[in-house]
Amino acid sequence: MPIRPSPATLLLSLLLLLVSNGWAEENGNKPFAEKHVVLQISDPNPFKQTLVLNVASNLIKHYGQDQVDIEIVAFGPGLRLLLADNTNRSRIEGLAGQGVRFSACSNTIRAFTRKLGKEPELNPHAVRVSAGVVRIIDLVSQGYFLIKP
Amino acid sequence: MKKITAAMALTASLGMGEAHAANWLMLQGTEPAGSAPRAKVWGFIQPEYQSTGGTRLKAGPWKGQDAVFNTIGPDLDSDSTFQLRRARIGVRGTGFGLDSGVNYFILAELGNNGITKFGGSGAVKLTDASITLNYIPHARIRIGQFKYPGSEEGLMAIHVFNYINFTNITNQQLLERFFDEDGSRTATTEDQINEPNGSIGAFRDIGIQVFDSFTTDRWEHSYAFMVGNGNGINRSDNDGNKDYYLYWSSELVFGGKGPRREGWKLFAWYQDGKRTLEYANGKSGEQEFDRTRWGLGTTYLKGKWRGSAEYIKAKGMIFNGTDGAATPGSLNNAGTAYASWNLLPEDQADGWYLDLGYRVLPKLELDIRYDIEHRGTDTDKNQRDLQTWTLGAQWFFNKKARVIANYEIRDIEAPGLPSSAVPNQILDGVDNRFSVQLLAIF
Repeated sequence: MPIRPSPATLLLSLLLLLVSNGWAEENGNKPFAEKHVVLQISDPNPFKQTLVLNVASNLIKHYGQDQVDIEIVAFGPGLRLLLADNTNRSRIEGLAGQGVRFSACSNTIRAFTRKLGKEPELNPHAVRVSAGVVRIIDLVSQGYFLIKP
Repeated sequence: MKKITAAMALTASLGMGEAHAANWLMLQGTEPAGSAPRAKVWGFIQPEYQSTGGTRLKAGPWKGQDAVFNTIGPDLDSDSTFQLRRARIGVRGTGFGLDSGVNYFILAELGNNGITKFGGSGAVKLTDASITLNYIPHARIRIGQFKYPGSEEGLMAIHVFNYINFTNITNQQLLERFFDEDGSRTATTEDQINEPNGSIGAFRDIGIQVFDSFTTDRWEHSYAFMVGNGNGINRSDNDGNKDYYLYWSSELVFGGKGPRREGWKLFAWYQDGKRTLEYANGKSGEQEFDRTRWGLGTTYLKGKWRGSAEYIKAKGMIFNGTDGAATPGSLNNAGTAYASWNLLPEDQADGWYLDLGYRVLPKLELDIRYDIEHRGTDTDKNQRDLQTWTLGAQWFFNKKARVIANYEIRDIEAPGLPSSAVPNQILDGVDNRFSVQLLAIF
């Protein structure tokens, strides 16, 4: 006789699925990460672009690719890091391949669009978030360390 | 639309935009996309000391007076002097940081050299003022005053040049002095000594250049085509003729970045133009003469070893020193003529150099260079062969500061004349030259 799950079991399973998906989403593809770090880039100084990428690389080297979960949030002048023609795009490609996530502030994109007269083209690894600073607050409230190199 | 997409795909596959560093075309005026500052202030200072033996002219109408080859330029007043060879300050960047399509580069010279002294003394002169447009795939456009694509010695950034003085062929036939006359008129007054009528060329011109670099595997290829006035810097053209410049280089990149990126480069260049003189070959009135230069060479840098070699050919307007090798403006012993600058307006010259460097310590590089110039080769009596062995040492305090010491073993002769002839007696007095130069970049 086939076993038919009760509605309560179905509901519980659905909740577990949602929770696990949500956790996985917040952790990217790093379910085993013990350290969670958000790196802020909001500075116009081009050296800061190199620095923030270096910090991400060094964290991965130290903890191991699977042990550290990193998200770089770019807003304000720092969003230039995530423009499609940025000279660091090969490094971004490499870091994205190691699981680093890149978040681009939609408020800044709108400001850039007004100044440029067209929407800037973003690096394909950049994921839009509603506001960079809100994204950082959310991540910090989830236990992420905030580092602003 | 498909064509545009295909072109963009090709551009991406060739790595356009990646090939930024270690390439003189790209380094001097092109900024890294998306990460260049709006305005970056930078510059460098090169104080130096140079000395020769001060041997005076051994023969000829100016016998006993200062020999131009034993005095220190640009002033040619002394055989040993401290001076500020270069002091440059500039600004570069993107101006509007959100658009990497427009770069600018401006640089001014405040030192004591042919840029500031020739054609008016002591002034601050612009060396570079250019705008680069990076909108067309594989065809960046640079407009303004900037280094023209040419020989390695001229095109490379001077603050990473491994010696203090240029090779003979580069100094005399590529580093152009601009004159109104060829010097064939006997200068009976000081006004007639045919002084340069403007700043030394400084390997720069005013015009427009189309150029770019692209990579295929480990090779980086660069091209440039330029049209310029061919009349030096900081002024407009003096005739309707334009100079044309062609350049190609292919470099096997070993690694690193910046001016000292490791790689093996092959390059070739060509430039052609005309010059207008108001007095030449003993005749007054405007006359036009060809000025053609071309060369090919190679550079190598890997680990502790560095090397370069180049062959250069000059045709048409040939720089030919001064009357009797005296310092310009000096009156001869008979009191009948002043020494003037000279050109051979329709002659030839060629030369080459071989340069090796080795880092014996992380902060110490030893260098050796041989160079020779055959000047005025169309007629036996005019030909002069100038050869120099340069021994050098560079001590790097850090990446932005170093000291160079050079000892140049110099020899000049007139091979078409007997050793007892006056020119060869004069040239027997060529001294070796010692120089020390400090560099600080900021």
